[in-house]
Amino acid sequence: MRPTFFHHLHPPTIPARQARFRYTLAAGGLAVFLMLILLVTGILEMFYYIPTPDQAGNSIQTLVFLVPFGALVRNLHYWAAQFLVIVVLIHLLRVIFTGGYARPRRFNYLLGMLLLVIVVFLDFTGYILRWDEGIRWALVAGTNLVKSIPLIGNGLYTLLVGGSQPGGATLIRFYSWHIFGLMLPAGILVAWHLFRVRRDGGIAVPPAALRKDHARISRYELVRREVLAMLLALAGLLLLSVFVPAPLAAPLTATSPLGETARAPWFFLWVQQMLKLGNPFLWGVLVPVAALVLLGLIPYIFPHPSGAELGSWFPKGNRFAQLIAGLLFLAILILTALALLPAS
Amino acid sequence: MRRWLLIVSGLLLVILAVIFWQESHRIKPIALVPTLTGQVEYCLTCHSDLAQISNSHPIQTFGCVICHGGERLALTADLAHSTMRGGANPSDYSVVQVSCGGANCHSGTAASYNDHIQRATTSIQETYAGAIASILYTFGAEPDLTARYATSAVQDPGSTTGITSLAAFAPPPTSNPAILAFATNCLNCHISGQPLPGTRTFHFTGCAACHTPTQIEPGTGENLPPADQIHKLTTAISYTQCDTCHNRGNYDLRSMTFQPRQDQPLDRLHDYYQPIAQFTTCEYELDCIDCHTRVEAMGNGNLYGKETDIQYIQCKTCHGTTTDLPQTKTLTDPNDIAFRQAQLNPVVSLKLGDTILVTSKGEPLWNTLLSSDGTYEMIDKVAGVRYTIPLVKGSGCLQDPSRQDSASCHLCHSVTR
Repeated sequence: MRPTFFHHLHPPTIPARQARFRYTLAAGGLAVFLMLILLVTGILEMFYYIPTPDQAGNSIQTLVFLVPFGALVRNLHYWAAQFLVIVVLIHLLRVIFTGGYARPRRFNYLLGMLLLVIVVFLDFTGYILRWDEGIRWALVAGTNLVKSIPLIGNGLYTLLVGGSQPGGATLIRFYSWHIFGLMLPAGILVAWHLFRVRRDGGIAVPPAALRKDHARISRYELVRREVLAMLLALAGLLLLSVFVPAPLAAPLTATSPLGETARAPWFFLWVQQMLKLGNPFLWGVLVPVAALVLLGLIPYIFPHPSGAELGSWFPKGNRFAQLIAGLLFLAILILTALALLPAS
Repeated sequence: MRRWLLIVSGLLLVILAVIFWQESHRIKPIALVPTLTGQVEYCLTCHSDLAQISNSHPIQTFGCVICHGGERLALTADLAHSTMRGGANPSDYSVVQVSCGGANCHSGTAASYNDHIQRATTSIQETYAGAIASILYTFGAEPDLTARYATSAVQDPGSTTGITSLAAFAPPPTSNPAILAFATNCLNCHISGQPLPGTRTFHFTGCAACHTPTQIEPGTGENLPPADQIHKLTTAISYTQCDTCHNRGNYDLRSMTFQPRQDQPLDRLHDYYQPIAQFTTCEYELDCIDCHTRVEAMGNGNLYGKETDIQYIQCKTCHGTTTDLPQTKTLTDPNDIAFRQAQLNPVVSLKLGDTILVTSKGEPLWNTLLSSDGTYEMIDKVAGVRYTIPLVKGSGCLQDPSRQDSASCHLCHSVTR
């Protein structure tokens, strides 16, 4: 059988042990698949979405309630976006907990970190595009966080919001960021990230001399597994989209006040929880950025696993990196859970 | 692996079939593009069973959203209703300016007879100024009966009565307990007050307090709960609507509590509740609005200090006195407000040249007519029944010409039960 275009995107064979779901968790592949779903549904949404404060809410309602399959398209876009954040984080944890970032993959790890940041910002900008009452915290408190940065805060805020307070300029800016400013780099970085996977020798495995298991699977088997994972993911997304609609509230109006119960989007709840501790610059900007920098520096400052340990879970050689990442994510999970608790 | 692919593909096909089935069974939206807004709204998708609220507000012209607010495109109840004004009642005074106001609607000028919101929100039925002043004076909190407070703060710099503003009535906690009890228990019947619990007193707030007829359970005479009330605005306001406030019991001034009536009247004579009131046939046969004019009920835009400053209709307005016939005027101006009022509630078709009764302040009693045979007729605004108005002049009435107020009439003309 001659390999098709899609087969050619994969190496002829890959190590069987590292091609198993229990090793990869299918996270990297699913991230690519979810991005493709987001691209297709996003393009469909662009035919209806009108990025002005007056029209945004109504255009979404038109899509959801009146356009055939419009609600399905929007729900798919929403759920794919939520899962993309989760899947990308799982992918990151998998790479840290298997030490897969070890030389020569350090640079690709950084590309991945950059993609994580872009994915979160894509989620955030997409969320703002709803322009409904549900986004008020993010639009008001979230953007005001930028102001807390010394020296450049106010300038950055004006750049981001397009004026002294959120309005039409803000919406068109977030729209442009979402469609071009973040999407284009994301596309380029995904291609680069995938290219570097191949260039760096595929999935991390011990050098041939140290390898115990030499079994490999063909690209045909790999593609079949990928298709299975995609079909399962698609089935899950479709089911969710049919039964759990994406949130939609009344369009944002200038007169409605910021309610006590206003919440950040779920992936920023941990930041919102930290902000209750006080100093917005420290807890809202410095700490999250420090956490990100710490994660990014893992391949550069902490010991790597030994060659023989590559390609398996929890190698002894990088226990410190695992501990740091584990504690960091635990802290984020706890903060998120605290933020979800009803205020007493 | 191939088998798993087949199974999952089959599963996916089933899900797709469910999606197509769901799409084909999606609720079919019913569009309406009201001429006043020009913007499509889909409220009728669920609410096509609602009757048009009134002939003055045709659905094709107004639609729903211009009055009620709400999300015009949404087809889920939660979202569609999330931005409605005043819940089910957009005429509540907290939102009435947005819902019913506007220069072309009900915030118009006195000259255009359309300043309803301004008049009603400053009227004694809303401010309750007289009752509050009376209680404050009685219990020593104020030195005289001057009106200083209303149910909520209200200003009218252009008021010609000498009262240009009333402060919100909010007695400090150290006030006389009777005043505090009055504030707690007795402010339920002004127009924007939430009605007391109990079905007999149920009415909406705002304009709808009077203009949306409370639905009554046939047989028991009890008012139906809010959910069973109807979508209607009318100027043909039945006495039963006035009764939701004015005839449902009494305030006990010793305990400062409302004592709902306990009786079950079987006819209109016994439905007239006020135990010590003196009244006569027309006061329980007609509807309240047959005699009490729009200015009496809704005010004239000025702030008044007590009910008797604005309520002025007397028996003689229609019946005349021993020496004088009732005042009349012949309709010569096609823009006379009498025509507009008669058009809104067409129990009578007035024509140019018709002669009707007018009040001592010149308000037209547009539901009256001077017949060609010289008799005066009144047409009941709700039931449409014609009555011949008996005149005092030429009757055997022995009344002192200097005592022509209604209370004096009631010395003889009073029913007993």
